[in-house]
Amino acid sequence: MSNINIDAIKNQTYDAIVIGSGISGGWAAKELTGKGLRTLVLERGREVKHVVDYPTTLMQPWEFEHHNRIKKEVKDANPIVSKCYAFYEGTEQFFVKDAEHPYVQEKPFDWIRGYQTGGKSLLWARQTQRWSEYDFQGPARDGFAVDWPIRYADLAPWYSYVEKFAGISGNKDNLASLPDGEFLAPHELNCVEKYFKEQVAKNYKDRHIITGRCAHLTSPKQVHYDQGRAQCQSRTICERGCPYGGYFSSNSSTLPWAAKTGKLTLRPHSVVHSIIYDEKKGKATGVRVIDANTKQMMEFYARIIFVNAAALNSNLVLLNSTSHRFPNGLGNDSGVLGKYVAFHNYTATIDAEYEGFLGSTTDGRKPNSAYIPRFRNVEKQETDFLRGYAAGFSAGHYQHDDRSGLGEDLKKALLKPEYNNVWNVGSHMMGETIPKESNYVALDSSKLDPWGIPQLKISVDYDDNDRKMVKDFFEQLTEMYTKAGFKNIRTNDSHRTPGLDIHEMGGARMGKDPKTSILNKWNAIHSCKNVFVTDGAAMTSTSTQNPSLTYMAMTARSADYAVKEMRKGNL
Amino acid sequence: MQRRSAIKNLALTIGGTIVLPTWANAWSKETLQNHSLSITSSQETLLAEIVATIIPKTDTPGAKELGADKFILRMIADCYDKKSQDIFAKGLISVDELAKKENGKTFVENDSKQRLEVLKKMSTSQNSDEKGFLHLVKGLTIDGYLVSEYVMTNLRIYEMVPGRYHGCVPIKK
Repeated sequence: MSNINIDAIKNQTYDAIVIGSGISGGWAAKELTGKGLRTLVLERGREVKHVVDYPTTLMQPWEFEHHNRIKKEVKDANPIVSKCYAFYEGTEQFFVKDAEHPYVQEKPFDWIRGYQTGGKSLLWARQTQRWSEYDFQGPARDGFAVDWPIRYADLAPWYSYVEKFAGISGNKDNLASLPDGEFLAPHELNCVEKYFKEQVAKNYKDRHIITGRCAHLTSPKQVHYDQGRAQCQSRTICERGCPYGGYFSSNSSTLPWAAKTGKLTLRPHSVVHSIIYDEKKGKATGVRVIDANTKQMMEFYARIIFVNAAALNSNLVLLNSTSHRFPNGLGNDSGVLGKYVAFHNYTATIDAEYEGFLGSTTDGRKPNSAYIPRFRNVEKQETDFLRGYAAGFSAGHYQHDDRSGLGEDLKKALLKPEYNNVWNVGSHMMGETIPKESNYVALDSSKLDPWGIPQLKISVDYDDNDRKMVKDFFEQLTEMYTKAGFKNIRTNDSHRTPGLDIHEMGGARMGKDPKTSILNKWNAIHSCKNVFVTDGAAMTSTSTQNPSLTYMAMTARSADYAVKEMRKGNL
Repeated sequence: MQRRSAIKNLALTIGGTIVLPTWANAWSKETLQNHSLSITSSQETLLAEIVATIIPKTDTPGAKELGADKFILRMIADCYDKKSQDIFAKGLISVDELAKKENGKTFVENDSKQRLEVLKKMSTSQNSDEKGFLHLVKGLTIDGYLVSEYVMTNLRIYEMVPGRYHGCVPIKK
């Protein structure tokens, strides 16, 4: 018997385990296998293979039964995910349905999830900006959260490393508030975006309009062809999965790369229950997994474990990993696990019209927009709220058709669309929110999910700082628009609940002091050093950048450290 | 523009070979019966004539030829709430009532000019259900027409794979 047990344990043993196959888990898989580690990637959802499992990617608009609208019964059954901008007939197969994966909303929170190989990397909006030194210094300077244990210099080489592989399009703008990266060719600003850039440059010395930086292969290099990816074709239907691998996803890039090493085992339908902590060894030895289909529990073992289940689910896994040593969750000596969750505030938009460039328009499509880096409180505190916001900006000269008639008149009008006599412009705010103890996630042991795991209870809300920031965004953008001669300016606060930003972060934050943080400067748990958390859960503060690029860089840096420590015999 | 008219002419010569998407061909009474929508076969004919009136066949196919009526049934059954479904069902009855009142014959028996007048009357009706019906059916007819393969490949060209983006180009007249 004992021999059989030993064999079984051997078969279930790897050098490394990665929990989750999304944007950061894919990177962990690539880095660890690339350094020769036999790596098990556990994905709770089904397998989605690049191209072959993108059923709608080549469908023409008329081939969708409901022209991309969601059926009423689907909408009624899924009120949460139905609010997501990217959820439509062509993408619904990639989103978690509300009822299948319940959670508790102590306060309203629209939790958008993608349970499949690649996770939400199939669905993301692909904007990728580096953090700057100002961002890492934020909490220390402004006295909130805790000081980041790393600075821009720690991450800069890793940004370069992941950018070169992922393929990031952008322009070198030479801004201290938004460091340049290793860019492929930038997307062009259109007539009015360029005009606005010039106007803003004329009127403000510290405000800039730049072209967005995004994970699209605008001018692919050999390393991208080697991944089997090709030039972005400007289809702008990215969320359906891209047959060219034109944008970065785990499915198109890191996972197949990891598989080529022969060191990767990807196990779908594997819901991680908890991390196994060995009291004698004083470290984690593996994970407990529930097979999503058979609901059977099994164990896998490894020397190091990367937690990349997506921010809130990584919190759930740690909270549920209890032991004699860690009765309140793995690494939770400080009691801060699950707390100081923050996100980005996307409630505010501002639209307007411009009467210039009426003889011009755009040609083709752009999976990107212009971007306004944070200009508030960058060098010093200057407003009645903390931190600031970045913003997207885009302009379009659209056509309209006169739909007022009936019969032949209507038909003629429909077939002769006319350009509007204005350009439409719009901007959306991406505000930094301040992590607070009162914004938290916890386990609700009275409610179990279908796999017998306590449901996650989410209690996250806006505060006065967010409201003041929205007001300022409206005032500042109105001024910038007015100075540029834009007319008919309209502000809109959607008051939507947190979650729809899909930028939830924190809960297992990094910090210097084990008394006030969970992770150290290498993303390892202070008190369990062979467990690394390198997704959104690790974020000490949120700044204003779209976060995925930072997760990628952190993951590569952390994996490099972990393997070096293993080789030194420290892990 | 020359390219467009060339394609248009080509499409005209092959005239009868309009291909409807599989969902439209697969559509049948059976699949619809799974839904709360109940509709008679004469009402199906009526709906086809309504969409043909809203966007008629000219030198190019109209909404009926492009299957907009089938699209509407699919959409009303699958994507709309009970209230809209009721407005739709009632509206089909009202159209005939109005046609009989105005012209002494059912809508299908009206000539094309009479049909157009009936729909115009409905579009300005004081009765919110009648107005709502026309608004609903007209909107979906336009959607079914514009997002049809024929229109998107021959008349208002949709590029699935542009492969380019130019930020500032002169509008071609």
